[in-house]
Amino acid sequence: MNAIETTGLNCRFRQLEAVHSLDLTVPAGSVYALLGPNGAGKSTTIKMLMNLLRPTGGTARVLGVDSQKLGPAEFARIGYVAETIDLPEWMTVGQFLNYCRPFYKKWDIELEKTLLQKFDLPPSRKIKHLSRGMRMKTLLLSVLAYRPDLLVLDEPFSGLDPVVRDDFIRGVLEVSSLGNWTVFVSSHDIEEVERLADWVGLIENGKLKLAEKLDSLQQRFRRIEITRIAANASPVKKPAHWYGYEEAGTLTRFVETRYNPDETEKLCAEIFPGSNITAQPLPLREIYLALARGDSAPQPSSALR
Amino acid sequence: MLPFSIDIRPGLPIAEQVLFAVKKAVVTGQMRPGDKFPSVRLLSQELRINPNTAHKVVAQLVEEGVLVTTPAVGSVIAERALGDRRARAELLGPELERAIVEAKKLGLSVEDVQAAVAAHWRKLSDHTKP
Repeated sequence: MNAIETTGLNCRFRQLEAVHSLDLTVPAGSVYALLGPNGAGKSTTIKMLMNLLRPTGGTARVLGVDSQKLGPAEFARIGYVAETIDLPEWMTVGQFLNYCRPFYKKWDIELEKTLLQKFDLPPSRKIKHLSRGMRMKTLLLSVLAYRPDLLVLDEPFSGLDPVVRDDFIRGVLEVSSLGNWTVFVSSHDIEEVERLADWVGLIENGKLKLAEKLDSLQQRFRRIEITRIAANASPVKKPAHWYGYEEAGTLTRFVETRYNPDETEKLCAEIFPGSNITAQPLPLREIYLALARGDSAPQPSSALR
Repeated sequence: MLPFSIDIRPGLPIAEQVLFAVKKAVVTGQMRPGDKFPSVRLLSQELRINPNTAHKVVAQLVEEGVLVTTPAVGSVIAERALGDRRARAELLGPELERAIVEAKKLGLSVEDVQAAVAAHWRKLSDHTKP
């Protein structure tokens, strides 16, 4: 069972194709991070999944239902948090929760109390007087309290201070359960999702560039450093799966995208006979940068932050 | 709070890092046989990691005989967990690999490294003697 499945999903705003033929599969039980720079199409994708925006092509199924036919029964199982969601400004936090409660059969009043305390939210304060972090926590509380099967978070961390981020992640993990609990989170903030995600999707210019298990990504990416005995006389014929290739003096550095201890070493030994080879695992951030730059040599990037 | 020390770094798979930290804590006596091991839930919340990853860690520790699970109590550290020297020596793997990589970069041979290890060993043993 897949929690989310799209085939050829398209979204066009006049001339601009915000999402292009997106085939996305989010397995049930996974924590799936959709990464990409600002303007890549992450929020547009999520809005289509939540039936807030009509696709101009293709289909999306959420919890097994066509996204354009999502109704109250499905939304009672989905928790959606985005900064753009409007809150009733005139209500207090407590009034807002009283208002939400009757909509959900599964609303857990004990969990609501625990989270109110954990999030340090003042129930009698009006929503219009809340800080940005408190607003996000209020919103998160209002969806976690009914223990949704699918949690959809659109850029949940942007503009939040470290303490609020930590509260936020703790809150999400508070309702976590093994098995069918699925989280779909979009972010351009890689460090925050690296610990949580087990699947990573990379979206750029409305296209999905990569969708892979984090484990397997971490297995197949390595920074390779080669120290040669003497500088190569002839230019090196490097394979296409070596990214960000650089040379300086006797030192050669690149990112191997198909790492396998034996084969990589053999290949390097063929190309650089008699040299020393080291392979370092890469943090997700570095993997992301290597992929974003692709085959070209590294240069200062403005893709992140 | 978790009964073992850990500092998760980006890059290496998280499950591997947690496994290593737990084994080290058992070998150094930070956790003793019979001690209760945190639940999947607590592991995931305290480390801010995916519950699936936490589950994988516990399952792996059970498989390797470091933990035993009893239905009512949960997981506890096994008697004679990581008792033999081989299992302990394996924990040095990542550190050794790093040292060997550096040694290769410096153009040293196995014998050079062995001699260097022995010399360092003696030096540290002398310091710790009363």
